[in-house]
Amino acid sequence: MSPLPGANRMEQLVESIAERVVNLVLDAVDINALVAQIDMDAVLAKVDVDAIVSKVDVEKIIERVDVQKIIDRVDVDEIVARVDVEAIIDRVDVQHIIERVDVQEIVQRVDIDSLVEQTELGTIIARSTSGVASEVLDVVRAQGVGLDDFVARWVNRILRRSSSEWPAGPTRLISPAPAEVPALAAEVAR
Amino acid sequence: MTTPSTTVAPPVAGRQGNYAGGVTRLAAFAADVGASWGIFTLGVAGLGFAINLATGGQVNLASRQILALIAIIIWEFVYFAYQWSLGGKTIGMALLGIRVVASDGNPITPRQAVIRTVALPLSILLLGLGFIGILLNKDRHALHDRLAKTVVVYSWDARAARLRWLAKQEPTTPV
Repeated sequence: MSPLPGANRMEQLVESIAERVVNLVLDAVDINALVAQIDMDAVLAKVDVDAIVSKVDVEKIIERVDVQKIIDRVDVDEIVARVDVEAIIDRVDVQHIIERVDVQEIVQRVDIDSLVEQTELGTIIARSTSGVASEVLDVVRAQGVGLDDFVARWVNRILRRSSSEWPAGPTRLISPAPAEVPALAAEVAR
Repeated sequence: MTTPSTTVAPPVAGRQGNYAGGVTRLAAFAADVGASWGIFTLGVAGLGFAINLATGGQVNLASRQILALIAIIIWEFVYFAYQWSLGGKTIGMALLGIRVVASDGNPITPRQAVIRTVALPLSILLLGLGFIGILLNKDRHALHDRLAKTVVVYSWDARAARLRWLAKQEPTTPV
């Protein structure tokens, strides 16, 4: 309470006058026009954003964010539905990718023996290709090749020479794959 | 006579394209001698039967040895030269899985087939010395191969044979 008598009333009067004056001023002033006159760029140029950002504790903000809740609200299906997969595929150079794939290396990694042995593929091959005649031919040829190698080995031994550097055959016909006949000859002979 | 194709089959796995050894070649030659004589004998018998049917006369080559020799020589020439020029292999070679190609791996030409056929008796007549190169040379050239510029290679697909052999086994565990 004010120490002077009547001061309280005076104070209330001043407050009501001030309130009234402010309302009148606000009614009279066009704030939009006032704001339009302010050069916001100049104002912003004076603001040190880095200083403000440095004062913000981003970690604390992140901690308070429930990321899981945000993810749950995202409709992935809708996003995927909006993606034009065809357009993406069109932009992929498939030919370039295929050229970079070493098919030969992939084929070499495939264990064909195991594949034939353990799957129905073997039965299909057997049904389509094998007969008594072909089986006899395989045996005769395998034995012949085995004997060829045997004779060649002994001739080389007698003549004390090595045939390892000799050409296996005409260059146009030679396969890079290792020969498997001796193994076959042994298996067939069993 | 059909001119053989000038294209070469692509290289395949196994022994295909490797120089064939002496044992296989000897076995193929023996099979060819048997096949050519068998076909010749059947042909002479068939011809004799046809002449007998038509004229009632008999054909006896045993009494005409020179004629028989000429007929055999012509027949053997046709047998080998025709088959080699056609596909590079005779009946015996097909059985044993070998074939004749030019030294560079291309298919044999009819000219090479004829030279090889004419030169083959030379290898035999020189007490078999013409064949010694099959054992000693790095490209397993016999005399007639050297003269005709040809080589004998395996045409048998050993890998396919191995797959056939594996296919006959019972499947073990499914992949």
